[in-house]
Amino acid sequence: MAGNYKKVNRTLKMTLWERVYVFEIIRGVLLTASHFFPNLWGAARSYLSGDPSIRKIKTIYYPEEVPPIPEAYRGRPVLVRGADGKEKCVACGLCEVACPPKCISIVGAMREDGTRYPETYTLNGAVCIFCGLCEEACPEEAIVMSYDYQNLCEYDRSLMVYDKEALLIPEEKLSKRLEYIRRRMYNKCNY
Amino acid sequence: MFDYTYLPEPNMVPYLVETMAKIIFIFSMNMGVFAPLLGWVERKQSALMQDRIGANRADIFGFTLFGLVHVMTDALKLLTKEDFIPRGADRTLHYLAPFIAVAPALVAFAVIPFGGQYNLWGHKANMVIADLDVGILFVFAVASISTYGSVIAGWASNNNWSLLGGIRVGAQMLSYEVAMGLTLVGIFMVYGSLRLTDIGVAQENFFHWGIFLQPLGFFLFITCALAENKRTPFDIPEAESEIVAGYFTEYSGLKFAMFWMAEFLEMVTISAVLVALFFGGWQVPFVSHAMLADLFGFLGRDWAQVATMLVHVMVFWGKVLFWIFILMLIRWSLPRFRYDQVMNLGWKIILPLALVNIFITALVMLWVK
Repeated sequence: MAGNYKKVNRTLKMTLWERVYVFEIIRGVLLTASHFFPNLWGAARSYLSGDPSIRKIKTIYYPEEVPPIPEAYRGRPVLVRGADGKEKCVACGLCEVACPPKCISIVGAMREDGTRYPETYTLNGAVCIFCGLCEEACPEEAIVMSYDYQNLCEYDRSLMVYDKEALLIPEEKLSKRLEYIRRRMYNKCNY
Repeated sequence: MFDYTYLPEPNMVPYLVETMAKIIFIFSMNMGVFAPLLGWVERKQSALMQDRIGANRADIFGFTLFGLVHVMTDALKLLTKEDFIPRGADRTLHYLAPFIAVAPALVAFAVIPFGGQYNLWGHKANMVIADLDVGILFVFAVASISTYGSVIAGWASNNNWSLLGGIRVGAQMLSYEVAMGLTLVGIFMVYGSLRLTDIGVAQENFFHWGIFLQPLGFFLFITCALAENKRTPFDIPEAESEIVAGYFTEYSGLKFAMFWMAEFLEMVTISAVLVALFFGGWQVPFVSHAMLADLFGFLGRDWAQVATMLVHVMVFWGKVLFWIFILMLIRWSLPRFRYDQVMNLGWKIILPLALVNIFITALVMLWVK
């Protein structure tokens, strides 16, 4: 452990000015006061105008104010309901395979016109680790990570098992996420 | 120079009414305003000084009132908490100690003037509960009694940390009481009186305020006052990192709250003494009593006196609030002194400086004459 350390001088000789205490204490008190007054002024102005951005203290008052969510944020996984009102999922089972904690289980079936659809699609929210691998595995853009992160907890784990109806969200509500997925995919392929 | 106009009049009824009104006013100011609110002020002020937002989550029907509801929740919590007395403790003394600690902080306010003398409808109203000759000595005497509360609490708890805290209180108070008394000798010499109302009247001229006549004495006094208050730069009796909570380690519930309240009330008392001795008491800077009465002359002679009185009382409490703010600022800015540093500061620096201050004051007074 040679070399890269700094020795602390514990036998510091203070000047007379510093040893008088009073002036250095006044300096310290002025420093803390210089934090107190701008913070107080900023808080008062933000309270009166209702604009949190002019507060000097950058703490977010969480339930009342929410932080901005980045585009790549992975919230609760949801199924996309297409424009025709049917789910986009074709029950291929790739998400089921890709899922590391194995929280997805699908029972597939076939419609009269020969297209496949999931008869049941169960996602155990208590087991899900929000990794987003199902979204990456899906060839149909049928399961995506939404931006939901609030009110996902329950006192009973059985209430956290989402069935198909609980997972289906109309496509237009997920347009921001779908647009982001496409951009990310094309970036990967240097398209 | 005993002034017989301060004595109660032959007719006792207005005197009694006036005294009761003053006692109720001071008591409600201390117990109703300062004791609960200073907890909130301390939380919020320290938070803002450290770029935090402070406690603001408790609410009543959705109204958080900037964290003021926390004061009520604290009171509720302390009221419903188990009142614990450790095994082997001296039950009587353990019970008695918080009362001994909190009572002096209230009593000391009896001699501090929060306004001048006013002639209201032929009745001479003096805005101080007890206008004692020995005013400031009474404050010292009573403040020393509160030391017994802490020492007894430390002794009666049957806990080594408490005992150490109690011993430290004793040592610290003894050292700083001496220095504090000597610091104020300069003030007595300059104003020629121990009576706080006389000192207040003498400070009507802005440049006769204590801070201008006794600048060194002011700094020494505020240091001693901080030490007497047992708050942070001098809080070795309750040093959390060394002896848990010092003398009130074994206290819980309302008795703990009483120690807490005693600390806050002492802070108010110290601010009031500072204002009365060094910051012109109830006087408005550059505006004398007669000038204020003239200003309110359109109200008639007696009502002008009432208006003057209200202005003076408000100015006094404004100054007290300002000094509480400064004391809080110091408490949240400075780290704790070590035990030996506190003793060195008290005996080797402040005590000699206080003696030098007396000497210089005497020389200057001789020279001025």
